[in-house]
Amino acid sequence: MRLPLPLRGPARRGTSPPGWSAMNDNREFIEEFLVESSENLDQLDRDLIALEERPDDPQRLASIFRTVHTIKGNSGFFGFSKLGALTHSGEHLLGRLRDGKIRINDRVTGTLYSMVDAVRSIIQAIEETGVEGEQDFRELSQTLAAVASEDISLPEPPAPVAAPVPVAAPVPVAAPVPVAAPAPVAAPAPQPVATAPATATPVQESPKLSGTVSDSSIRVDVGLLASILDLVGELVLARNELRSIESMDPVLEGVVHRINTVTNSLQEAAVKTRMQPIEHVFNKFPRTVRDVAVACGREVQLVIDGADTELDRTLVESIRDPLTHLVRNAVDHGIEPPAVREAAGKPRAGRLLLRAFHESGQVTIEVQDDGAGIPVEAVRAKAVARGLIDATAAALLPDERVLQFIFEPGFSTAAQVTSVSGRGVGMDVVKTNIEAIGGTVDLKSRPGIGTTVRVRVPLTLAIIPALVVRSAAERFALPQAAVSELVSLRAEGGPRIEGLAGADVIRLRGRLVPVVFLDVLLGLRPTTAARENGTVVLVRVDDHEFGLVVDGTQTSGIPADALAFGGSLATSLPATRTEAASLSTIVVKPIGSLLGQLGIYSGATVLGDGGVVLILDLRGILRAAELPAQPRRSEAETPSTRSSAESYLVCRTNAGRRIAVPIDTVVRLEQFAGHELQNVGGKCLVRRGDLFTPVVDADSLLGVHSVQADADALKLVVLDDRCGGIGLAVRQIVDVAEADSMLQPSLASPGVAGTLAVGGIATEVLDLGAFLPSTGARL
Amino acid sequence: MITRYCCFLVGDDCFAVGSDGVAEVLRDGRITHVPHAPEAVLGLIHLRGRIVPVIDMRRRLGLNATEPPAGRTHLVLRLHDDWYSLLVDEMLDVIEVAEDAIEHPSKPSADSTHDAVTGVYAGADRLVHFLDPQRIVHSLARQREPFLQKQGASHGGL
Repeated sequence: MRLPLPLRGPARRGTSPPGWSAMNDNREFIEEFLVESSENLDQLDRDLIALEERPDDPQRLASIFRTVHTIKGNSGFFGFSKLGALTHSGEHLLGRLRDGKIRINDRVTGTLYSMVDAVRSIIQAIEETGVEGEQDFRELSQTLAAVASEDISLPEPPAPVAAPVPVAAPVPVAAPVPVAAPAPVAAPAPQPVATAPATATPVQESPKLSGTVSDSSIRVDVGLLASILDLVGELVLARNELRSIESMDPVLEGVVHRINTVTNSLQEAAVKTRMQPIEHVFNKFPRTVRDVAVACGREVQLVIDGADTELDRTLVESIRDPLTHLVRNAVDHGIEPPAVREAAGKPRAGRLLLRAFHESGQVTIEVQDDGAGIPVEAVRAKAVARGLIDATAAALLPDERVLQFIFEPGFSTAAQVTSVSGRGVGMDVVKTNIEAIGGTVDLKSRPGIGTTVRVRVPLTLAIIPALVVRSAAERFALPQAAVSELVSLRAEGGPRIEGLAGADVIRLRGRLVPVVFLDVLLGLRPTTAARENGTVVLVRVDDHEFGLVVDGTQTSGIPADALAFGGSLATSLPATRTEAASLSTIVVKPIGSLLGQLGIYSGATVLGDGGVVLILDLRGILRAAELPAQPRRSEAETPSTRSSAESYLVCRTNAGRRIAVPIDTVVRLEQFAGHELQNVGGKCLVRRGDLFTPVVDADSLLGVHSVQADADALKLVVLDDRCGGIGLAVRQIVDVAEADSMLQPSLASPGVAGTLAVGGIATEVLDLGAFLPSTGARL
Repeated sequence: MITRYCCFLVGDDCFAVGSDGVAEVLRDGRITHVPHAPEAVLGLIHLRGRIVPVIDMRRRLGLNATEPPAGRTHLVLRLHDDWYSLLVDEMLDVIEVAEDAIEHPSKPSADSTHDAVTGVYAGADRLVHFLDPQRIVHSLARQREPFLQKQGASHGGL
């Protein structure tokens, strides 16, 4: 961040101001001053906003005064005369405020904000060029002086006419006195004299006060921290090797034990150096909110909670822009103008809650407003107009799903483009940026109540808890955050992988979850060896859930409950269902662009035994596996809708119709060759074990002319006894998904109970009750 | 201008890269296989906290007609922010060559043996082929597996 100052050149000449020659020697101090000043300016922004809320808070005012005074003092020391003059005027105004000579009003705070901005621009100029720049702030100094001279007894005097002139020229201290002239009251005249000693006090204490922060912290180059972290990683590996050496020597044992303990603590501490409180992002928001609120004519009360929540400093930077966008959006689009709010019976000022907290190894950040909410119907109409969904399906789509269209590129419902937002770029960028760092964005909105956007990001990208799995002879790591369950296929009577070639599923508690064979997907084996005795790792990526079939999880030899991370996951599952899973904390290392572009690995790590293990990019695995789209509802949505939503098996019939049957009526998915079908007494039967199952072509139920099926691979959906234990012949198993809408019986037709939306597409639900008596099938 | 080059043997031929980019020379390293990686990428090695892809120079240069010798050497290069290990048959010495002593091919070749060769120099006892590390890596990046092409195709459809 800190730019080296281009201090060579004209500075050395004798003609330069005295401060310049000092600069070369003081280069380090100046850098320090610049960094400190930037931080101070952020503090000023916050203090000013707090002061606006509580104008008579003397401590806040004193803090502002001190900050400005420190900048002034330093600028004098380094010879930055413009900065000195400006902060001097500001300090004078603040002094008058502190002494109760003038009161806080919009004009005062507005002028102070302008001063902060001006100081910031000078600081920036110094940072970039080494000099203060060409900008002229004399007018602002005059305004500051003019505002300072306004008397408490004068409500809103017109812009002072003569007063500014004497202030502008001499920067020296005595200037303010003549400014008091327009005031009809004579009393204030001696006052400046009184302020002089008052200002003298902070002079001494200010360096100390601003020093308290820097006393307990130092600035360290980020590259240095990174290399320390790398070295600690090396140390951990060496430690592991040391531990594996068998020794009878008790002295050596003791030393190894100590090295072990110290290494653990060292690693923990090194990891912490990467963490930064989210405050660094939140700090900017009071000012952002104020500026947007003023620009849009809103009144907003910003509440910040959990600013001390820590996350990786690289992530702090990545979430800054998305969050700023969300905050601006909330003020501009979310919170209504004061008049509208009053009419709706709400307080004039909208409430914007910014909340951060740790939750299951992630950082959750909520941006919540109590505004008008997002107009769902407008979104729905816009989605149809933009061709994102057809009108019928849109009508069936529940509101929460409709709101997801907000995240489509170029989607904005703002009727008007404002300078603040509504240009149709935004939410999609927010989503993309957050997902790029492995996070998620959820949106909830209730008309008239408000909108909550919940952003979840990992604590760090560098160190994650991971599950190490085996497939063929290789090991791979999966981010534990995505893993929800481990299921062993070896257990007696446990779940089995079933289904048709290309559409394998595992049945879990009534759900069918698609599975991917990792060995086949990665080309490690031509056909899987894990089908019968492997382990299924259930993972959730974005809104998709699938099972990754692996040979097993790595057993580390360390008891599961002794593992630092996720010991609960390993022990919470019955022993028969999983072997002790090796959950470990891994350090994510980049694998470089050459292999990164494969899109299926997010990095690599070095395990305790020194072996390099690839980290699977589950999003990429999902893409590569080409699983059918199967969006799942996120946990954030209300559990009631989740449990009540029925799951359906979606199939394509031989004639190409998209149909669905309730998943709980499905017993098995099977595949037969045409010659295995037997025609007995006008019924088409197929032998499954000891039983014959009647087979019905799904098209015939719909009254559609049957199309010749693929005789080599007849796909059969076997329904349970309630449905006559029949097999439904279809062309393709498409998906298992929850319904997005209620069944619409009005769209019923022969053989069809109604239509509903599954996966966003209108789908016909078979009327199972109606066809049961007539199971005399024709295939 | 005189530049230093690290020479090495792949098959029967002598190649060289500028010594500036050479970070390290390793005798052995446990290579982790990377499924679906370009054919010439043998896998990854761990080098003091860094994960480095290993490029089998025999495969890369199309000189894999004969079995590689046992105990090949990793020539670790640094290319901007990325590191690569070139797995070569044998390291030779470091030579100093004047720029004008290098003959540059009249037109760039497209085949995998010569596409990364920027020039040739007739040394005392053998011909030295100069390689551009950038080109060694970039043509690999262009090689896409059928698996990924399929993936890319289905992408467009989504």
